[in-house]
Amino acid sequence: MKNIWNRRDFLFQSGGGIAGLALAQMLYDQKLLASPRMAPADACAAPPVAANPLAPKAPHFKPRAKAVISIFNTGGVSQMETFEYKPALEKYAGQVLGGDVRVHDGRPGPIMPGVFKFKQYGQSGKHVSEIFPNIATKVDEIAFLHSVWGRSDDHIQATYEMQSGQLRMGYPSMGSWITYGLGTENANLPGFIVLQDARGGPLGASNNWLSGFLPSTFQGTPFLGADNPIVDLKRPASVTAGQQRLRLDMLDKLNQMHAEQYPGSSELAARISSYELAYRMQGCAPEAVDINSESAATKKLYGLDEKITEPFGKQCLMARRLVERGVRFVQVFSGGLGVQNTDTWDAHKDMKENHAIHAKESDLPIAGLLTDLKALGLLDSTLVVWHSEFGRMPLSENGVGRDHNPMAMTCWMAGAGIKGGQSIGTSDEVGYKAEKQPISYHDLHATILALLGIEHTRLTYRYNGRDMRLTDVAGELIPQIMA
Amino acid sequence: MTKKLVLACFICLSAVSFNRSVTPSNAQTPVSFSKDIQPILEQNCLSCHGQSMQSSRLDLSTREGALRGGTRWPAIVPGHAEDSYMYRLAAGLDKPAMPLGGKKLTDAQLATIKNWIDQGAHWDTDVVVAKTSTNPFAELENAKLPPGAGDYWAFKLPVQAPVPTVARTFSNPVDRFLEKARQEKGLKAAPKADRLSLLRRAYMDLIGLPPKPAEIDAFMKDTAPGSWERLIDKLLASPHYGERWGRHWLDAARYADSSGYENDTDQPNMYRYRDYVVRAFNDDKPYNTFLKEQIAGDEIPNRTDDSLIATGFLRLGPRVRNHERANPMRRHDYLDDVLGAIGKGMLGMTVQCARCHDHKFDPILMKDYYAMSASIYGYVEVEYPLGPREQADAYMRQLTETEDKVAALKERIEELDEPYRHKLALEEIRKKFPPDYVRAVEKPESERTPGEKLLAIQVLERGVQIKSADADKIMSPEDAAKKKALNDEITAINAAMPKAPPMASIVTDGDWRSVPLGYGDRNEGACPKCELEFAGAGKYIEFGPGNANYKVPTSFFLMRGDPDSKAYPTKPGFLSVITKGNTPTEIPPANGRTSGRRLAMAEWLISRDNPLPARVIVNRIWQHHFGKGIVPTLDNFGKMGEQPTNPQLLDWLAVEFMNKGWSIKQMHRLMMTSEAYQMASAYNDAVSAKNDPDDTYLWKYRIRRLEGEIVRDNIMAVAGSIDLTMGGPAIFPHVDESFIKTLFRGIYRNQDDAPNVWRRSIYIYAKRTMPNPMLQAFDLADMSQSFGARHVSTVPTQALQLLNADFVLNQAQLFADRLKKEAGDDVARQIDLAYRIALTRPPTSRELSMASDMIGEGSLVDFTNVMLNLSEFLYTR
Repeated sequence: MKNIWNRRDFLFQSGGGIAGLALAQMLYDQKLLASPRMAPADACAAPPVAANPLAPKAPHFKPRAKAVISIFNTGGVSQMETFEYKPALEKYAGQVLGGDVRVHDGRPGPIMPGVFKFKQYGQSGKHVSEIFPNIATKVDEIAFLHSVWGRSDDHIQATYEMQSGQLRMGYPSMGSWITYGLGTENANLPGFIVLQDARGGPLGASNNWLSGFLPSTFQGTPFLGADNPIVDLKRPASVTAGQQRLRLDMLDKLNQMHAEQYPGSSELAARISSYELAYRMQGCAPEAVDINSESAATKKLYGLDEKITEPFGKQCLMARRLVERGVRFVQVFSGGLGVQNTDTWDAHKDMKENHAIHAKESDLPIAGLLTDLKALGLLDSTLVVWHSEFGRMPLSENGVGRDHNPMAMTCWMAGAGIKGGQSIGTSDEVGYKAEKQPISYHDLHATILALLGIEHTRLTYRYNGRDMRLTDVAGELIPQIMA
Repeated sequence: MTKKLVLACFICLSAVSFNRSVTPSNAQTPVSFSKDIQPILEQNCLSCHGQSMQSSRLDLSTREGALRGGTRWPAIVPGHAEDSYMYRLAAGLDKPAMPLGGKKLTDAQLATIKNWIDQGAHWDTDVVVAKTSTNPFAELENAKLPPGAGDYWAFKLPVQAPVPTVARTFSNPVDRFLEKARQEKGLKAAPKADRLSLLRRAYMDLIGLPPKPAEIDAFMKDTAPGSWERLIDKLLASPHYGERWGRHWLDAARYADSSGYENDTDQPNMYRYRDYVVRAFNDDKPYNTFLKEQIAGDEIPNRTDDSLIATGFLRLGPRVRNHERANPMRRHDYLDDVLGAIGKGMLGMTVQCARCHDHKFDPILMKDYYAMSASIYGYVEVEYPLGPREQADAYMRQLTETEDKVAALKERIEELDEPYRHKLALEEIRKKFPPDYVRAVEKPESERTPGEKLLAIQVLERGVQIKSADADKIMSPEDAAKKKALNDEITAINAAMPKAPPMASIVTDGDWRSVPLGYGDRNEGACPKCELEFAGAGKYIEFGPGNANYKVPTSFFLMRGDPDSKAYPTKPGFLSVITKGNTPTEIPPANGRTSGRRLAMAEWLISRDNPLPARVIVNRIWQHHFGKGIVPTLDNFGKMGEQPTNPQLLDWLAVEFMNKGWSIKQMHRLMMTSEAYQMASAYNDAVSAKNDPDDTYLWKYRIRRLEGEIVRDNIMAVAGSIDLTMGGPAIFPHVDESFIKTLFRGIYRNQDDAPNVWRRSIYIYAKRTMPNPMLQAFDLADMSQSFGARHVSTVPTQALQLLNADFVLNQAQLFADRLKKEAGDDVARQIDLAYRIALTRPPTSRELSMASDMIGEGSLVDFTNVMLNLSEFLYTR
C-alpha cells in the first residue's frame, strides 16, 4: 500500500471535516439524529475517503443503478403459485409427468394444479396469482424472469449458488463482490447490510453474506432493529457518554503518539480513523434504520399498521432508508427459521397454506417499497431483485405440497431503469424445466452487475492461482432487461 | 420404483409434457438420418454423447436418448429445430457452443440438422456408434508436458548456494543473504531493537501470550551472553507454543468442528485432530512425519493413535452430510477439497485449477489431477476407536453386528405395526385430504391410474405421519405382546454392547459408494439413476480378523470435471513435473486392508526429490516471524503467485531445514537469532524508505497486527483471568442471541461470559455457519478452504467490539481489579504495572501523567479499557 491514508485528509474528505464530525457528535449526544424525520443527516452522509477499501470506485461503464435491494425468499418459491401462470397444470392434473423426473424427497407425485387463482393486471396484462394483489399493481414496472435455473435441489447449496455463484461453501457473496467492486457511498454505514427475517435464519446462515476469500471488509453486516442495529454498536449502559468520550479522547492521543513512531503507516492511520468511524456509526446507524421517524402514511404504505405485514414491512422500510443513505447492497430475507415448513417458503406439506402466509406478509410491503422508492426518486437508481434459491415442482408432494425444483424458478427485477411490463423466458408447459431462454444464476449475476455498471468478466480477485469471478467462467447478460 | 411405474412414465412421456405436434417442414427435400445425419453425429458428437460416455447424461446414440436429453433439456424437439438444444448449441445460439473444444460444424451441416429436426427428426437406425479410434482417450491418457515445463525455480530441487560474503560480519547466515539484497538495493538495516521490545516480540511470536512482570524482570536481569537464545529455548519449551503455532497450521488444514452446509453437523471427535496438531508442534515432530501421518497415518507400518487422528486432515473440508447417496457427484467435490488442501497447504500449488482443464499457467496436467485424485480415491470417513487395531476392529465389528441385529428387529416391529398404522393412516387421510385423494388411496392398486398410483404412494408414505406408538393403542393383545418381546430383545442387545471407547474422526480406505445411510438418505426412489451408482459396491470399510484384499474402486478421468463424462480409468500418480523416474504409486501394507496409495503419495510428498514441501513450510515460518513470506503468496508458488524476494535464502533455508531433521523449532532458532529478526521497527531512514517503501527487503522489522485469537488471549492474559487448561472438547464463548437465531442445525452451546470460557481461543468451537463474531471481525480465515496468510483489515467493527462488547468490558474491569490488588491504591504504580502487563514496558513520563489525569477525571477501568484498545496492544513492535 503506497497510498497513505492521512488522517487530516480523512477528516477533510469525510463530509465537512471536523465540523461534520462535531455535528454528528452533537446530534448524537442530544439524541437528535434519531428524532423527527430529517433528510439523511449531512453529518452521517460522508463518503469513505480514497484509501479506505470501501471508497467509491468507478464502475466499468455508465451504471443504471447505484444500489441493490435483494429480496431473498428463503425456502424456495413456487413459480406456479406466484407469477408464472400454468393453466396446463389443470389439464394434466393427476397425471404422471414423464421423463427422468428427479425430486428431492421421496417419490414423485402426480401433476398438481396450481392452488391459487390468477388474474391479469396492468397494460401488460400480466397474469398474477391472487396472493399478490399489491405487487400485481406494479407489473408494468417489473420484468419477470420465468426461466431461471440452478444446479442443486438442496436448500443450502442452491442458496450458496444464488448468493455466490458457487454450490460450495466459502465463496464471496454477491453483496461482497459488489461492495468490493464499487465501494460504498457512505463511510458511516457498512456498504453491505443484511436485514434478516424476524424469525431468524436464513437457511445457510452467515455464509449468505460472508466474504469468502475477499477481505472481511466486504462482508455483509446484519442490522437488527433501530434500538441496537449492530451487535456491540451501542455503548453499554454501564459506560456513560462522558466516560466513552474520555476513553476515545485518551485512546486517540495515545494512538497518535504511537503512530508518530511509524510515519507513513497507513494501517495505523486507518486504525485511528476506524475509531472515529465507529463513533460516528454509533449515531448514524441507529438513525439510518429508525423507522419511528417516518410518517404515519409511510408506515401504512409498508403495512406497519397490520400485524401480519409489520415485521417484513419494517425490513423493507429499513432497506429504503439504507439505500437512501448510500448503502450499496441491502439483502432482505423473507422467511426465517423455526418450523421450516411454515416459517420459510419451503412448502413441502401444504402449498396453499404456506404461500398464502408468506405472500400476505410480504406483498404489501414490497409494493409499498416500490411505490416509496419511486416517490422519492430512488427507483431509477435502485435495482430491486426478488428471488429465491429455487422454484418448486409441478407435482404434488405429501398430497398437497410441492417439492424443490432447481430447474425452473421465477424471479423478477424492478427499478434501475429496466424495461418493465415484460416476461422473459418461460418454463415448459407445466413449469418443470426452464425452456425458452434459460437463465442461469451466473446470467442473473452478470445482469445485476451490468445494471450497476460492472462488466462481470472484469470484476476479479486473484485467489488460488486464478482471477476469481462472481460468474466463474460463465454468465450471459439478459438482453431484454435493458430498456 | 416398480417396473409398472417406469412403464407409466414412458407412456406419459409422450402424453404429457412433450406432446407438441410435428409441423411439416416447408417443402425441403427429406433429410435421411442414416445418410445425412448419422455421419455428422459419428464424427462430432458421439465420442462424448454416445454409448461409451454420456457427457451431461446426454446419449445421442438413440432417438429416445436424444428426446430425453441431458441433465437439463431435450436435445431434440421434433419439428422445432429452434427449440432443440442439439441445434442451438451446434449453431452457437446458446452456450456452450458444440462440439466443445472441437471444430464447428459447417453451415451446410447445420442446415441439414435444422431441416432434419424440423422435418420431425426421423431416425431409421437403432443405435449409432461413434466412429473413433480404439481408444478415444489415448491422447488424454498419454498427455505429456511440453519440453522445458520444469524449467521454473519452484520445480527445481533447492540447493544451498554459498552463503554470500558481505562487508560486515554476521554470525547468522540468514543475515548475510538479507544484507546482500540490502546492499544491492541501497538499504540500511535498522539498529537492534531494545530488549523489552524483543521480549514482547518473542512472546507474541512463539506463544501468543504476554510475558508476566516477573518474567520481564528475569529477562532484564539476565545480562549474561546467550540470554536471547535461552529465552527462545524457554518459549519453545512452553506448551503454549503448540497452541500458537498449531493455530497457524489449522488455517492451512481448513479446520472446523462442524461439517458445514445445511446440517452443519457437530463433529464431536474432531478436536482430537486440533490437539494432535498442538502436540505435534510441542513435540517438534519432524515435519516430514507430520505430513506423512496426515496423509497416510492409517497406512504407515508403525501406526499410533496419533497417526490415525492425523488423517482427520483429509476430511476437514466442508461436507454436506445430507442426501449423500442421492448425490454421488458430491464425492468429486470432496476429492477436490482434499487435493486443494494438499495442493495449497503442503505443496504450494494450485492443483485444483487442473480439475476441468490443464492448468493454464503452471505445468499441471489434467491427467496429473486425476492421477492424484486416484491416489486418494479409496478414502472413506469413519469414526474409529482409538487403541490397538485388533481391539478397535473387534469393537467396530460388534457395533456393526449390533446395528444389523437391531435393524432386523426393528423391521419386524414395523411389520407388526403396518396393518394398524395403515388403518390409522386411512382414517387420517379421509379427514385431511380431498375426496379424489381418498378415492385413489382406497382403490385396489390394480385399478389406480398411473397418476393415482403415485398419489397413493405419496399420501400413504408421507402425507400423514402415524407413529409406532399410535399403533399400540389399537393393537391386538397378541401383537402387542410380540412387539414388547421384540423391543425387549433390542434393549437387551443394546445393553450388551460395551461402552464406546474414545473415538477419532479418521479416514481409511474403503468403498465410498457403500456410505452408510445418513440423514435424508432414506428417500429411496428420489433419484433412481443415482441409486444405480451405488449398486454392487463393496464394503464401506473392512473390519475383521486376518488379512483382507482391498481394491480401490475404479476412478476415472472426468472430461471437464463432469462426473457424467467418464473417460479412461485412472491410475494413481502425482504431479509429473516434479516426479522422478519410478516413484512408487502404491506401497501396499501387509494386511491388505488399504491400498497403500496414500502412503505412496506421502512418501512422494516428503521425498528429498520433491522440491516443494520444505520450501513451503520454511516460507510459512518466515511469514509468521517477519510478517511476509519470502514468497508472499504462501499457498501459491506457481507462476500466478508472487515470486520470491530472496530465492537463494529460501532455498538455503529449505535445505537447512531438511538437513536438520525437518525440525520446525530449529528453524525458529535460526530465524529468531538473526539480526534481521532483532531489528527495531520504529526506525526511519529516508534513503531506505525511498528505495524500498514497502520494506520488501527487510531493512527494518515489520510490525504486525495480532490475529483475533491472540488479541482475545492477550486481553484475558492481561486481565489475569485466562484459564490455560489445554486441549479437550471445544468451548462456546457467549455470542449475541441474534447470531444464534441464524442457526439452522448443528450445535452451538452458547455459554455465559464466565471463567470457564476464558480459555485460549484455539479452543473456541469452530462452527462453519457461525464463525465466532469477534474472531471474524479480526479476519478469521474462511474455514472452508486452506489458507496461508490471513487478511489484515481495519474496520469499525473491531473498534466497536473492543469498546463495547461485554466480554472486553468485563475483562477491563478484571484488569482494573488486578491492578488494584497488585499495585495497591497508588495510581502511578497502577499505571506503571498496567503498562508492564499489557505492553511489556514501563510508561513514559508523559504517558504516566496523561494516564493519571485521565484516571483522575474518570476511573481506572476507563484507563484499562483504553489499554485494551491501543494500537500498540494490538500490534507487535
